[in-house]
Amino acid sequence: MADDKKPLKLPRTAKGKKPVYFDTTTDKLISMVLTLMGEVSVMRDRLDTVERLAEKKGVLKLDDIENFEISPEVGKIRSERRAAYIARVLKSVQDELDALQAQGDGMNVDVVQ
Amino acid sequence: MIPQKMHEMFAKPNHDEASRQEFVNDFRVHLASRVFPGTFPAYFGRVLPAFVKANGREPKDRHEVRKVMTKDPFYQLWSAMQRNSQEMIWDSVIDSVERQLPDLLKKAKDLKGQGSLTLNPDVVVPKYHTAADIHLQPGAYHTDSGPDDLAAGAVYDRGTYIYSMGGLGEGNDGLGRILHKFFRKQYPDMKIGRVLDMGCTIGGSVTFWSTQEPGTEFHAIDVGAPCLRYGHARAKVVGGNVHFSQQNAEKTSFPDASFDVVTSHILLHETSRPAIYNIFKECYRLLKPGGVMMHLDLPQAHGQSPLEGFLWEWEIYNNNEHFYGQLRELDMNDVATKAGFKPESFKVHQVASTWDDGQTPYSAENFTFPVYVGVK
Repeated sequence: MADDKKPLKLPRTAKGKKPVYFDTTTDKLISMVLTLMGEVSVMRDRLDTVERLAEKKGVLKLDDIENFEISPEVGKIRSERRAAYIARVLKSVQDELDALQAQGDGMNVDVVQ
Repeated sequence: MIPQKMHEMFAKPNHDEASRQEFVNDFRVHLASRVFPGTFPAYFGRVLPAFVKANGREPKDRHEVRKVMTKDPFYQLWSAMQRNSQEMIWDSVIDSVERQLPDLLKKAKDLKGQGSLTLNPDVVVPKYHTAADIHLQPGAYHTDSGPDDLAAGAVYDRGTYIYSMGGLGEGNDGLGRILHKFFRKQYPDMKIGRVLDMGCTIGGSVTFWSTQEPGTEFHAIDVGAPCLRYGHARAKVVGGNVHFSQQNAEKTSFPDASFDVVTSHILLHETSRPAIYNIFKECYRLLKPGGVMMHLDLPQAHGQSPLEGFLWEWEIYNNNEHFYGQLRELDMNDVATKAGFKPESFKVHQVASTWDDGQTPYSAENFTFPVYVGVK
């Protein structure tokens, strides 16, 4: 039987020439963005399931989430987390900016910390 | 997306898999309704005027439109996203099939039901199926990932449903419903003892036919073994009665004059020029005198404007539907008469893409399928 052996793996990539739309790098970026778009949607659905189950089981009310008041402490924690997240995602842009500044090519760019 | 009927052989998605599949559907609905329409103003607003300015005339055909439209940034972006959405369909479905494959294999073995399955490992999968994976399904119809594999069929069952944005109906058998309804409209009283469906994949269409014609013996052939195994199991659980066998429609093992009706449901555009001539010849050989051949397929290029013709061909260049390009221009009367059908016994009908409850498999209004009908 199949389940006595290693798990069956199905092919994941279609055979055939892949068209180029813009250029291969831009095309990959589009694929990444669309995949992330899908995964964010999946995560939101999952959170929605958790919220609805929590309400059904009396853990919380959905209104508790909508009316949640962010204390200054929580606000600061979230703000720092968001800044780190944005920097992580946009690292490639930062790298380019750093390189431009290191070259001293006359561009006048203010770095916002 | 209207929910697909989840029969016993269906690879039921878990929470995140279902969510991913719903996302792909919603994304494709958005592309179709909110992005694709922009190709028209892009063409008429800038691509066409630029062409006219450069050439002093409008593009004479869809090929000239292709040369300029594929360089338009809006079209490029829509096209890139459409291609990605097609890849995402399969990706969203393969997870749930792969995860449940051992269970599905076991279920298929234990099923009781009608019909039969005859596989023939000597059947050579034709080059038009092995050269590239048609409509980007990884492994296409024929790749076995293990013994007794049926994964390609399970993936196809869900993937084509998402592809059609639920338009093939909850039983994913809309094409069978359309052709059966048309057949019975044309031949309300014809007694049909034996019917053959060619290129059946998972047999969605022929299985529906078998539920409508209880006294008839149904046969269905395909080159892809995993699709046939799944199709046989699927037919059992949805109450069909079909004899599946692994055969190439170009040359089958059935004796001359075996069938009253020979059908196919969007098979032809996934073959080749020599194959389509062979398939029509084989249909003629297999039909009893007075028997009827009916092939339902995608529209040809006649009568379409250059832009419309170009847009229709997206699937050829971006979705591995390579032969569709040639089929769009093929002289079907020539194919039929070379096969033996008399010119007066062959007709191309345009059949509405709806069935009894008014559903439509494709979102375009007034969409029709050509149906190639030959009487021996």
